[in-house]
Amino acid sequence: MDFEFSVVIDSLPALFEGAKLTWYITILGIIGGMIFGILAGLGRIAGTAALGEKPHGIFIWVSVLIRYISGAYVELIRGTPIIVQAMFLYFAFPMLVKAVTDIERFRIEALTAAIITIIVNAGAYIAEIVRGSVISVNKGLLEAGMSLGISRFQLIVHVIGPIAIRRMIPPLGNQFIISLKDTSLFIVIGVGELTRQGQEIMASNFRALEIWLTVAIMYLIMTTALAMTLRHFEKKMKMF
Amino acid sequence: MPNIIELKNVCKSFGNTEVLHNINFAVEEGEVVVVIGPSGSGKSTLIRCINCLEMITTGELIVDSIRIPDEQGRIRQIRLEVGMVFQQFNLFPHMTALENVAFGPRKARKMNKSKATDIARSLLDKVGLAEFENKLPGQLSGGQQQRVAIARALAVNPKVLLFDEPTSALDPEMIGEVLDVMKNIAKDSGMTMVVVTHEMGFAAQVGNRLIFMDDGRIVEEGKPSDVMKNPQSERLKDFLGHVKHH
Repeated sequence: MDFEFSVVIDSLPALFEGAKLTWYITILGIIGGMIFGILAGLGRIAGTAALGEKPHGIFIWVSVLIRYISGAYVELIRGTPIIVQAMFLYFAFPMLVKAVTDIERFRIEALTAAIITIIVNAGAYIAEIVRGSVISVNKGLLEAGMSLGISRFQLIVHVIGPIAIRRMIPPLGNQFIISLKDTSLFIVIGVGELTRQGQEIMASNFRALEIWLTVAIMYLIMTTALAMTLRHFEKKMKMF
Repeated sequence: MPNIIELKNVCKSFGNTEVLHNINFAVEEGEVVVVIGPSGSGKSTLIRCINCLEMITTGELIVDSIRIPDEQGRIRQIRLEVGMVFQQFNLFPHMTALENVAFGPRKARKMNKSKATDIARSLLDKVGLAEFENKLPGQLSGGQQQRVAIARALAVNPKVLLFDEPTSALDPEMIGEVLDVMKNIAKDSGMTMVVVTHEMGFAAQVGNRLIFMDDGRIVEEGKPSDVMKNPQSERLKDFLGHVKHH
């Protein structure tokens, strides 16, 4: 076996460019995914006892509608592969737009499609993390707060929120790492992220061992950085 | 003394199961009412209806002259005047003892931080936990946690305190310290109290009135010593026989 270290060195600039793009997609995807996830996760338990008292009158139906929309989103995304979602968004969605509107040259940039895919995909999983953490908070704490005459909003902000967020951190760490690795699938829509860069170098010099080992190590460094950041947050929070 | 709590023909159902049947019940200002009864008799549900943690199904509830169901929008007003102490303490686990007690005054009574903290300190002192103010609930014993919970309920300055089996989750050696705090509150401040408990000693010593519930109905009521000495119903005789052995 001959391992040419110079191949690794030569490939680094291009791989770094790919890693930067991977990082960029991941960070934007995670931030957007958190927003989607929190909205859909809370949406799935809107108007239930988990968030305090049940609504009255018209709000009953509003909350039912919100629960159905959030639930449909989560099930739709969880139930289909992310690679299909990416290809649908990049290849099929513009055709769909063309078919139903007059816009002739509708196109989504590959990078934009990649970021949107991560946002929407991570959002669905994060929604379940949010929902699970919120419903795991002891209902007695809400009752204690309500019996002090404190508003539901204040209790969500000061009691349910902080406790639920602490419980979300370990599963969020999982999801962030999964989302980072999922960016490698965007090779299929031609985004020049880390895996794609590796593939291109490989195709020109056929040095599979050096390239894929380097690529793997670069992923490992990025996922470790994510994991350590979350660990840091976990430790900073008061333990109880 | 005028009635501060009144239940008129109150029924409460969970789904198709009626757990309170046509309850008529009133508490005067300053009165200490002790509610006893076997498990599943509806005593917890009864007091949870008073601060609207459970909504009554039919009938009328009047607390501090607020009428339910007519004035549903004023439930928070009721809760400000009716504090509650729970069997499982339910302290906020991420807040220190002091923060737990100061939380109500700050968020429900809209006090500034230093005033709320002063109130919290003096209440922790009152329940004998001044030196534990910076401990988290998880670092306190059950008895200490329950005393913090009592201080927390007192902190919003309610007119009524409800106790839902406050000593049932405690080790035997810690029951005394919690009952002592409750006795002091009843004697010193003349607080109106409704206490669900199995502590017959407490009932005899502090209670102005004893209520025996069975199967969602008030079966007997009267002066604690009278009710305990001369139980009228077979059900109460049987029940007293069981609790006295503990």
